[in-house]
Amino acid sequence: MQYSEGEKAMVGGKKDYLKFLLGVALVVVVFTILGTQIRGFLSFRNLMNVCRQTSIIAICACGMTMVIIIKGIDLSVPGVISCCAMINGILMLQGWPIPLAMLVALAVGTAMGLFNGAMVEKLEIPAFITTLVMGNIGRGLALIMNKGDSIGGFPSAYVFMGNGTWLGIPVSNYIMVLFVVVTSILMGKTRLGTYIYALGGNDLVVKQQGISTSLVNFFVFGFSGFCAAMAGILLSAQLDTVHPVQGEPYLMDAIAGCVIGGVNMLGGEGKAYLALIGALIIGFLRNILNLLGVHPFYQNIFVGVIIIVIVGISIARKNNVMEKNKAF
Amino acid sequence: MESDNNIITMDHIDKYIFDAYGKPLHGTNVKILDDVHFDMRKAEVHILIGENGAGKSTLMKIIGGLIPYDSGTFTYMSKPAFFKGPKDSLSQGIGFVHQELNLCQNLSVAQNIFLGSEPLKKNSRFIDKDMIYEKSAALLASLGFEIDPHELTSNLSTAQQQIVEIVKVLSYNCKVIIMDEPTASLTQKEIDKLFGIIRTLKEKGISVIYISHRFEELKEIGDRLTVLRDGKYIGTIDMVDFDYDTIIHMMVGRKLGAMFTTNHKTTTDEVLRVENLKIAQRTAPISLHVNKGEIVGLSGLVGAGRTELAKSIFGVRQYYGGKILYNGKELIHQVPKKLIQDGLIYLSEDRKVEGCVLPMQIDQNMTLAALHQIFKNGYIDKGKERNICNQSVGELGIVSQSLQQKCNTLSGGNQQKVVFAKWLITEPKLMILDEPTRGIDVKAKADIYKIIDDMASKGVAILFISSELPEIIGMCDRIYVMAGGTIAGEIIDKKSFTQEKILSYTVT
Amino acid sequence: MSNTRTETSNVLVRFLKTKGSIVIFIVFWLCASLFVDNFFSLDNNLLIIKQAAIPVICCLGITVVLMTGGIDLSLGYTIGLSSIVVGIFVKTLHMPIPLSILLTLLVGLLVGIMNGVIIQVLKVPAFITTLGTGYVIYGLAQIVSSGSNINRLPANFRVVGVTPIGGLNTTVLIALCCCVLFYYLLHMSTYGRSLQAFGFNPNAAKMSGIDTPLLNISVYVLCSVCAALAGVLLTIRVNCAQPTMGNDMTFEVITSAILGGASLFGGIGTVIGSVFGVLSLKIIENCINLLNVSYYTYQAIQSIIIMLAIIFENVKNRKL
Repeated sequence: MQYSEGEKAMVGGKKDYLKFLLGVALVVVVFTILGTQIRGFLSFRNLMNVCRQTSIIAICACGMTMVIIIKGIDLSVPGVISCCAMINGILMLQGWPIPLAMLVALAVGTAMGLFNGAMVEKLEIPAFITTLVMGNIGRGLALIMNKGDSIGGFPSAYVFMGNGTWLGIPVSNYIMVLFVVVTSILMGKTRLGTYIYALGGNDLVVKQQGISTSLVNFFVFGFSGFCAAMAGILLSAQLDTVHPVQGEPYLMDAIAGCVIGGVNMLGGEGKAYLALIGALIIGFLRNILNLLGVHPFYQNIFVGVIIIVIVGISIARKNNVMEKNKAF
Repeated sequence: MESDNNIITMDHIDKYIFDAYGKPLHGTNVKILDDVHFDMRKAEVHILIGENGAGKSTLMKIIGGLIPYDSGTFTYMSKPAFFKGPKDSLSQGIGFVHQELNLCQNLSVAQNIFLGSEPLKKNSRFIDKDMIYEKSAALLASLGFEIDPHELTSNLSTAQQQIVEIVKVLSYNCKVIIMDEPTASLTQKEIDKLFGIIRTLKEKGISVIYISHRFEELKEIGDRLTVLRDGKYIGTIDMVDFDYDTIIHMMVGRKLGAMFTTNHKTTTDEVLRVENLKIAQRTAPISLHVNKGEIVGLSGLVGAGRTELAKSIFGVRQYYGGKILYNGKELIHQVPKKLIQDGLIYLSEDRKVEGCVLPMQIDQNMTLAALHQIFKNGYIDKGKERNICNQSVGELGIVSQSLQQKCNTLSGGNQQKVVFAKWLITEPKLMILDEPTRGIDVKAKADIYKIIDDMASKGVAILFISSELPEIIGMCDRIYVMAGGTIAGEIIDKKSFTQEKILSYTVT
Repeated sequence: MSNTRTETSNVLVRFLKTKGSIVIFIVFWLCASLFVDNFFSLDNNLLIIKQAAIPVICCLGITVVLMTGGIDLSLGYTIGLSSIVVGIFVKTLHMPIPLSILLTLLVGLLVGIMNGVIIQVLKVPAFITTLGTGYVIYGLAQIVSSGSNINRLPANFRVVGVTPIGGLNTTVLIALCCCVLFYYLLHMSTYGRSLQAFGFNPNAAKMSGIDTPLLNISVYVLCSVCAALAGVLLTIRVNCAQPTMGNDMTFEVITSAILGGASLFGGIGTVIGSVFGVLSLKIIENCINLLNVSYYTYQAIQSIIIMLAIIFENVKNRKL
C-alpha cells in the first residue's frame, strides 16, 4: 500500500509539524500587527528581552510536557529553580569554576526529580503531592542556605550566558532551542519517547509488553528536575541575582505554555516544540499586557483562567472520543 | 507416540480463586479449574468452548503466562513450562489476542504493533521509523487488511482495533496463538480474511487456540474441540464428529439441584415496562416487562448487554431511544437517588466495585441506601441502626464478628448478603438483580434464593440477571434471553425451560 | 475461644490506627517538655493552643476535601483574599462589622462553589483546578489591595478575635465551635457517612443513592468558607489585612491533616485527627521559636513530616 507524499503529511504525527509551522506563522503575524499598535513592542531591545525571559519558561515546559504526558504534574519546579540557583550561586561565589558549580546544581535538581519519580513509581504516591512537597523542600533549602537573603555579583562569563548575545540572538535562546530540540528528538525518535507516550496512553499494555515503568517514571521526573535546575541557573544568570523565591512565577507559566501547546492533562498527548510555541505565546502575551499597563496580577488571573478553560475543553473532547469507542 | 506431536500438554491442572497477583486467595478452597486436561497438537486449530465461568479464560491466562497454575503438569515444547509473565511466554512463542482491546489509543497503529520491540537504526539509538511503517504496511497488506499504519489508533473502529491486536500478535514468531473471541466485532468479510490467515498459519506449522461461541464459524475452522464446564474438563472431540446437540449437552449437562423454592404467586400487575430501548446506536430495540410478584430471568452470555440494559434503567448509563415505564409513569432523566426512593433498586454484578464499600463497616454499608431511616431528630440514631442491621443479619444469616467488622474481611457470600441487606432495608418494589449469586458458596446461594422467593411472595417484582442456567431455570417464572445487545428470545412456558433451549438462543 | 493477648494487641493496633494523631501529639509534647527549655509552662502551652486555633479551622475544611480524594491548593490564597476583603469592608468602607464578616464569608462561599463546579461539572482534576483558581484568586487579592496592606484596623473589629477568655481568646472559642460543627457533620449526621462512602468508592456511593455531585461541591464550599473565616481571624490577630496572608498556610494545613490521619486517596478523616495534627505541628513550631532556630527550618521540617506520614501510611496499607 503506497501513500502519496501529501497523504503522508496529513496523517498521524506529520500533522503536528504543520501545526507547529502554522503556530509560528500565526504568532509572527499577530504580534507584528499588535506591535504596530503598541508602543515599544517592536523595539529590538524589547523583543530580545522577551525572548530571553521566555526561554526560562520554555525550558521548564520541556520537562513539564513529559510529566504531563505520563499523567503526572511537577509542582516542584519553583522550588528546584530556587534551590539549584542558590547552590550554583553560592558555589560560584566561593570560587568554584563555573562549569563545576553548574554541574553540581544540575545534579541536585536531577536528584530531586529522581526522588519524585521514586515516590510516584515505587510508593504509588500521587504526583501532585510528591512534587508539592519536594517543591517545598527545595524552597526551604534555598531559604535556609543563605538565611533568606539574596546573593548576586556573579562572574561576568556567567552573566554573559544569561544576558549576552551571539550572532544577534540571546545565548539563553540557544540553550532553550537546545533543550527543545533534545526533548523533541527524545520523544519522537527514541524508544524511550515511545514508552513515555505509551505509559500515558495505557499503562497496562506497557507492563504487559515487559517495558519497565520504573525507567520511564524515573527518567521523566528526573529530566523535569534537570530542566528546572537549568532554568534556575539561567534565570540567576539573567538577573545576576539569586532570590530564594524567584522561581515562583514559573510554575503556572510553564503549565500554561504546555496546555496552550496542546499537551493534554489526561495524558498521552503533547509535543515539546508545540509547548515551546505555548511558552512563547505566554511570554509575549505578558509582555504586551505589561506594555499596555495591565497589572501583572491581572495577567495571572488571565493565565489561570486560560489553563482551566483549555483543560476543561480538552477533557470534554477526550471523554467524547472514549464514549465513541466503547463496544456498546 | 501421541505426545510427540503435542506442543502443549496440561494434566490435572488445578487453580483456586486468585487475587490480583494470581496467588490463591487466603484460606479458600474454591477451585476455578479442577483437574483440567488440555492438549494441543502442532499446526492445529483447537477450539475451546464453555459457558461463562467455565474456566476458559483462566486456562488461557495460565497458558499465556499471566497467572501461575496451582498444581498439575504443564508441558510446552516437550519441556515443563514456567512463565514469569506475558513477556516471557511471548518470547517463548505463545501469543495472546485478548478479548478486550489492549492497545495504546494515543499511538499509531504501527507503533502499537511494534511496542516494546522497536527496531533501531544502524549504530544509533533512534527508532527506525521507516522500517516500522514499512513492515506494518507490508504485514497488513499481506493479511489483506486495509488499515493505514500511520493512523492514530483511537480513530479506528473497534473492529479495526481488533484487527490491529491480531496483527500485533502475528508480528512475533509465535508457535501457538490464543485467540479469545476474536470475531466479536468483525464483519463477515473480515472474519473470512481472519480464517484465511488462520489457515495460512496452520500451513506454517503454527497452532491456534480459538475461543468462541459462534458454532457456524467453529465448523469452518476447527480441527478439534474441547469443552469445559464449571471448571472441569468434559471432553475433546474431533470436529468431523461435531454434533450440535452433543456439544450443547456437554456444555450444560448437569443435574438441576433441588435448592429452589417457589412459594410466590405471580400477578398481572405490571411494574416495569421497557419499550424499544436501545443500549447502543447500532443494536436492535429491547422490549420487556416485569409484573408484581414475578421473577423474570434475563439470561445470555457475557457481553450480551444485560448489565448495560439494567444500568440504563437505573439511570447510570446512557441509552438511545425507547422508553422505560415504572408503575405506569415514564422515567425521564432518572437518577439512582430518586429511583431508590420510589422503590426501584439495582444490585450490581460487581459488588467489589459498585456494591459494597469494602473499607467500611457492615452496618455502615447496610444503611447506605436508607440513611434517612436512621437519621431522625437531627442525628444518627445508633440504636435504631443497630436494630435494623441486627435484624438483617438474622434474616440473611450473615456470619460476622460484629456489626463493626469491615466488609473487606468478609467472605464473598457474606459481602453479597450485606449488599442484599442494604437493598432490602430500602423496602423496594422492583429489584433488578445482576448475578446475585456470583462467586459465593452453595449454602449462601440457597439462602439468597430463599430471600428472593420471599420478596416475590411479598409482591416485589424481580428482574433476575444471571449466567447460571440452573438458577435461572429454577427461580424464574419467565425468561428473556439476550444476545448481541438485544432480546433474542422469550420463554414463557416453564415446561420449555431447558438449558439447551436457552443456550440455543445465545449461540449464533 | 479467643486469645486475650491477641485481643489486647488487636485493640491496641486499632487504637493506634484511628487515634494515632493523639499518640503523636503526646510523644511530641513529652519530648518538648523534657528537652526544650521554657516549653513546659502554662503560658507557653496556652500560647500553642491559641496559635493552633486558626490552622485548625482550615484543617477541618481541607480534611473534608481530602476525604473525597480531592485537594484544595487555593486555600491559602482564599485566606489572603478574604483578609484584604474584610480589611476593605471594615476600614476603608466603614461597614458594620457583622455585615463585613458575613460578606467575606460569602466570598469564601463563592470561591468554593467555583472550585466545586469546575471539579464536578467540568471534570477538571482537583489539583489543576485549585492550582488555577488559586492563581486567579491570588491575582484578585493583589489587585483589590493594590499591592499594599491595610493596617490599624478598628478596635471593635478586633474584639471579635482577640478578646481574652481565661488564658485563651475568642478565636479559640470560634475554632472550638467549628470543631463542634464538623464533629456533628462528620460523626453524627449522615453527611459524614456519605462522604466516607464517596471517598472510598464514588461508584458504589452513587449507585446507593447518594447525591454525589452535591456532595463533591459541598466539600469545596466548606473548605473555602473555613479559609475565609481563617482569613478574617488572622487579619484580626496580626491587626493587618494582607493579600499574602495565607500563602504558607496551605502546605501547613495539608501536612497537619495528613499527620492527623487523613488519607490522600479519600474516605478517611476525623475531627480529632485534624485537631491533634495541627497541635503536633504547632508544638514543633513553638520549639523552633524557643530554640531560636530559623523559621525556614520549620518549613523544611513540615516537608519531612508530610513525606514520612505519606510513606508510613503507604507502607501500612501495603502490609495489610
